[in-house]
Amino acid sequence: MKERALTRPHADAARQLNLSSALLALSVLTDSGVEHYRGSFQNRVMYVPLGVAALTLGAGVFGMAQPRLRRHAARDSIYAVAAATGAAGFLFHAYNISKRPGGMSWLNLFYAAPIGAPIALTLAGLLGKGAEVARGHSIGRLAAAVSAVGLAGTAAEAALMHFRGAYHNPAMALPVSVPPVAATLLGAAVCAPGPRIGRLARWWLKFTALLGFAGVGFHAYGVSRNMGGWRNWSQNVLNGPPLPAPPSFTGLAIAGLAALRLMDEEAHTDRGVRR
Amino acid sequence: MTDRYPGYDVLAKRDSPSWNEQTRQVIDERLAVRADSHRFFTDEEWPTIVAVCARIIPQPQQPDQPVPLAAMVDLKLFENSGDGYRDSRLPCLREAWRRALRALDAESHKAGRVRFHQLPVAGQDDLLQAVQDGRSNDPAWGDMPPPVFFSKRLLHDIVSAYYSHPRAWNEIGFGGPAAPRGYVRMDFDRHDPWEAAEARPGLEEQARRHNARIR
Repeated sequence: MKERALTRPHADAARQLNLSSALLALSVLTDSGVEHYRGSFQNRVMYVPLGVAALTLGAGVFGMAQPRLRRHAARDSIYAVAAATGAAGFLFHAYNISKRPGGMSWLNLFYAAPIGAPIALTLAGLLGKGAEVARGHSIGRLAAAVSAVGLAGTAAEAALMHFRGAYHNPAMALPVSVPPVAATLLGAAVCAPGPRIGRLARWWLKFTALLGFAGVGFHAYGVSRNMGGWRNWSQNVLNGPPLPAPPSFTGLAIAGLAALRLMDEEAHTDRGVRR
Repeated sequence: MTDRYPGYDVLAKRDSPSWNEQTRQVIDERLAVRADSHRFFTDEEWPTIVAVCARIIPQPQQPDQPVPLAAMVDLKLFENSGDGYRDSRLPCLREAWRRALRALDAESHKAGRVRFHQLPVAGQDDLLQAVQDGRSNDPAWGDMPPPVFFSKRLLHDIVSAYYSHPRAWNEIGFGGPAAPRGYVRMDFDRHDPWEAAEARPGLEEQARRHNARIR
């Protein structure tokens, strides 16, 4: 990858990747905070994602706010640590599931440590890393591919958890139907870039981003439907649908939108260079 | 007896998210049972059931505020609230108890020409033991096998009355009714913050502090 001068839209898109990473990190920070508190921090390691997600969130905010668009060594390494921590968390969760009676059974996938959750931190790290590398290199297509895979994976986790919840509310079908379409369109835009597929992908990504916000509202409603409702919050926030989970869709959709902008800018400047 | 859940009072949860109006109502009714109230047992039968309860579950640990066992058994019989099942060798709830108290008094009359509650404590224990072992055979029992009455009616009704009372819950660290707040941490040896802490040796003060904060 060769160094390139940055245009204004390109810089905005890079900052938008920082934003997406920060949103994912916020989701991981609050979700692992609540769920690991529920697990009574039985293992000291359970504190680690809280610290790393908080750092990642800070790095994202810093990256968005920084007036001069430069790669930053501290952010760079925080994002690398986040990606590695997520991968280690995945192994820890897989170990937690496998050591329970029954091993890799549906029951344990439903009720033991959620297998997919730590990957969100890896995605936050990768997208943050992308935001840094984009300050000088063409990574639009790679970032789009990562977002598409992330959206598909997150939809798979929602499918597992909403299946556990028996899809008792028709709205529970939304996060398993909308993001996969967005991911597919984004993937198509990576393989065969073009204005039409790009426009289509943007619409579905925006819908997905909106859905992530709406999901918090739906989950808050889910909490209120548990016995005792919000007055019994100390039980129901833990027992009901996780409030911090849906915004990870928003984070990934914003990353997809940023990646499409990067791809456009890169194509534009490439044409300019040829001209 | 040592206090295994020091400072724990399940009633501290009364006005917290742990209980709702329905729960408060049920427990208030239970706490309102007066120790000497009897509407099913006659004045004649009353001292007998009081003495039986005192032998089945002596309450030296709460001398000032014993759980009103006999009155609670009486309430169950007055309301005739069965369990939804019964050993077919026993007559129905009320008839079984009436007959058994008559038989106990008859047996103690044979043994010492006194009523059951007038027997010395050791004598009461001997007689109850005889009932449990099938050695009591007064005609007052009728076709009801005394050992079956002992295990399926007498023990069942008295012990469930005791452990339905909040003071018994304090003693065993039971969280009480889980309505609406239930439990979230369901794994082995995991506890929700609103559960009683057991005083492990050396950690009594820690448990007391935790239990004082439970709501």
